[in-house]
Amino acid sequence: MSAAQHRRVEVMGTIVTLDLYGEGLEDVADTLAAAAAATLREVDRVFSTYRPDSAISRLRRGALSLGEAPPEVVTVLDACREAHRLSGGWFDPWALPGGVDPTGYVKGWAAGRALEDLRHPRVRGALVNAAGDLASFGDLDGAPFRIGVVRPDAPATLAAVVELTGALATSGTGEQVGHLVDPTTGAPGVRAASATVTGPDPGLCDALATALAVGGDEVLERLARLEGYEGLIIEPGGALRATPGFPFAPATPLSR
Amino acid sequence: MRRAPWVLAGTVAGLVGLLSFRSSPQKVTLSTLPATTASSASGTATTASAPGAAAGPAAPTTSASAGGVRSATGPSVNYFYGVLSVKVTTSGNHISKITIASLQDGAYAYSHYVDSVSLPMLIKQAMAAQSANIQGVSGASYTSAGFAQSLHGALSALKVS
Repeated sequence: MSAAQHRRVEVMGTIVTLDLYGEGLEDVADTLAAAAAATLREVDRVFSTYRPDSAISRLRRGALSLGEAPPEVVTVLDACREAHRLSGGWFDPWALPGGVDPTGYVKGWAAGRALEDLRHPRVRGALVNAAGDLASFGDLDGAPFRIGVVRPDAPATLAAVVELTGALATSGTGEQVGHLVDPTTGAPGVRAASATVTGPDPGLCDALATALAVGGDEVLERLARLEGYEGLIIEPGGALRATPGFPFAPATPLSR
Repeated sequence: MRRAPWVLAGTVAGLVGLLSFRSSPQKVTLSTLPATTASSASGTATTASAPGAAAGPAAPTTSASAGGVRSATGPSVNYFYGVLSVKVTTSGNHISKITIASLQDGAYAYSHYVDSVSLPMLIKQAMAAQSANIQGVSGASYTSAGFAQSLHGALSALKVS
């Protein structure tokens, strides 16, 4: 039975939890978590659109050219272009008002970056949860991590439990109406109440979840054809639609 | 159009990551989270030795009764729209109840809306996660950082492990 070590980092306007599973982690957890926290803060420093001095803010207002930007900005924008292509145009950081905004990719990507800092011979499994964008490696005593997806119309209950391999991201409006923009119209628009994507790349999961929330079935069909990625739509009424391979966890007895 | 901060535009904070559940069907273990970075949730436990014992407004307070039922109130935490604190009651290593112990959310209508909608959700979600044997939650967006921080402080004060 693995022992767990949990740490949390307040960054990017939210809380990121770091969970490490394995034996004898007491004396390494702080060091690993500190490295992950530093990574998250660095990502925030470069990519926060709420910091006027961040590279992305300066890029957006034309005070910085792409050639002068930190290399990770180029990396992220390249990845956003790929996500734009894979989503059929439904994920489009260039369609947002105020200039390019890769936020819909960055939080998942940041979770993945932080996860890499948690690798250690004694860490058998690790989970980074950046406000619903999850990145993981390994497992929990040989069993996959189980992640609950909340019902958007009844957030006290879970719509599904997912057996996690790699990454998972959920996008939805919650009470924040209008934070997803339909790139075909530039107007706020949502076709699914909640959209979840699983797959190997945390940043791409984040971007595709945004696309799925806006694009609905059209994006779900694209996900069904995309190797390694699965999608789940929760309709406003609570009904579920998922790609055929979506990793729903089998029902298991409760722990008490 | 100005976009809202990440705390709202993002998906639900992994507050349920505060709760750790072992996979054994016989046993649920609830682990506390050492606060490595969140200084205001440092969990400096103040044990209330007697009713009315003075406690700092931002420090967790604890109480215990027969039968292993204990409760603690987490630190008052600034969140995006105000200040809140969370009270948690445990029985053994189970959370049996979570309530909002205090809430000052200013005079903004939107703040009242967020509080009235999201805080009950957060409470129920933390409870639901405990019974679903899961290691995390992903879902709709709301302000949960302050809630998670105060809950963490309360759990730390109880030294639930």
